Amino acid sequence: MKINDNCVGCGQCASFCTKGAIEVKGKARATAACVECGICVIYCPVKAIEVSA
Amino acid sequence: MKAVVIGAGLGGLLSAARLSKAGYQVEVFERLPITGGRFTNLNYKGFQLSSGAFHILPHGPSGPLAQLLREVGADVKIVRSEQTTMRVPLKKGDPDYGKGFKDVSFNDFSTLLSHKDRLKIAFLIASTRRNHPTGSTLQAWIRTQFKDEWLVKFADSFCGWSLSLKSDEVPVEEVFEIIENMYRFGGPGVPIGGCKGVIDALECVIATNGGKIHIESEVSKILVENGKAAGIIVGNEVYEANLILSNVGHAATACLCGEALSGERYSGYLRMLETLRPSAGIKICLAADEPLVGHSGVLLTPYAKRVNGIDEVTQVDPRLAPPGKHLTMSHQQVAPENVRNLEAEIELGLQDLKEIFPDKKYEVLLIQSYHDNWPVNRTASGTDPGNETPISELYVVGDGAKGRGGIEVEGVALGVAATMKKVLG
Repeated sequence: MKINDNCVGCGQCASFCTKGAIEVKGKARATAACVECGICVIYCPVKAIEVSA
Repeated sequence: MKAVVIGAGLGGLLSAARLSKAGYQVEVFERLPITGGRFTNLNYKGFQLSSGAFHILPHGPSGPLAQLLREVGADVKIVRSEQTTMRVPLKKGDPDYGKGFKDVSFNDFSTLLSHKDRLKIAFLIASTRRNHPTGSTLQAWIRTQFKDEWLVKFADSFCGWSLSLKSDEVPVEEVFEIIENMYRFGGPGVPIGGCKGVIDALECVIATNGGKIHIESEVSKILVENGKAAGIIVGNEVYEANLILSNVGHAATACLCGEALSGERYSGYLRMLETLRPSAGIKICLAADEPLVGHSGVLLTPYAKRVNGIDEVTQVDPRLAPPGKHLTMSHQQVAPENVRNLEAEIELGLQDLKEIFPDKKYEVLLIQSYHDNWPVNRTASGTDPGNETPISELYVVGDGAKGRGGIEVEGVALGVAATMKKVLG
């Protein structure tokens, strides 16, 4: 999962991640627990998340 | 009559509820899978965090938002906070909370001044109600009247908490309009169910009145015919409308209009849009077994390095946290020059919390920051350009078009109410 420069760090992705795999501190960061399910992508209000194909 | 609302944030849903009540056929289009924008709940580890706002209405059950909710028939219970307090060092002159602190009531801020300044404040409180000061920032105005730095700290924490600005960024006119609103409407309150309690109630009104809300539906274009809003495009579909309300701010709305806003007659509006700036802030969400703030109002922290204020909404609605837990949230304004330096700003905020709650146990749940395209306010308070656009029947509502003297969501409500007056007469 790639988080681009649009990310403001609002944490919305973290609240919808079912794996608890997103840490947020000024910007979101996917941890090793990320399974690239892509659920977070649609909840991002600034189109900052790109899931690897 | 058909109305289209772009964006299901608070401003969009308030507008949709009001228009549907007035008989409009209303359709709301929301890009995200959730409604509420930066004014709804986010479930996180069993806590009802928020997507932005602090589960608080700045003027409680009698403010502009509460009035508009009542007007549209939205069933929300809003509980007035019992008090607002300020944490100050035990000894006047101490720079921080390190050597102890005490809490004083917001209304008693002048008791921390010298006798002479106290008399002057009493005089100014009376005289400025008739003649509001104008033509400077709040901080510049304070410095022309007083030498006491406490007042600047007090002003910075209040402006930081309520507007996410420093006192030298806020026009003094805006502050005196806010003070007037505090006399008119009273202090803050908490909606039961948090922000989502308000959003759910509005959606209920819209559905009852036959309105529709489409989620995961991004508007790609606003159609304009002969200088008048005519409809929108979503995906491959055209939705015609007699009236369009945009809840995405003036700049993004102008982008959706595209070439319809090119040409000399619109250049003044487009130049004005370039001057608009959003405000930025950081929210730190804490979980605790024992109360940290200890009351249902705001605790302002004028002597912290970054944190401006803190609220503890579980004092009003315990269901915003798991049983036996408290949800406490701090806010700190972020200056424009520090937006690229958020991690350092967050560290300062976390240090502040340790000093504000030195002997309390808490867990940091989530740290949320807001700036640029997902800011605290799309337009910094005091610089809102109104609700009209150069396109007739196209209005902007929300935190990019707040009414004067309206703190946060109260400003959103004032902007919506003004727009509805123009549209419905």
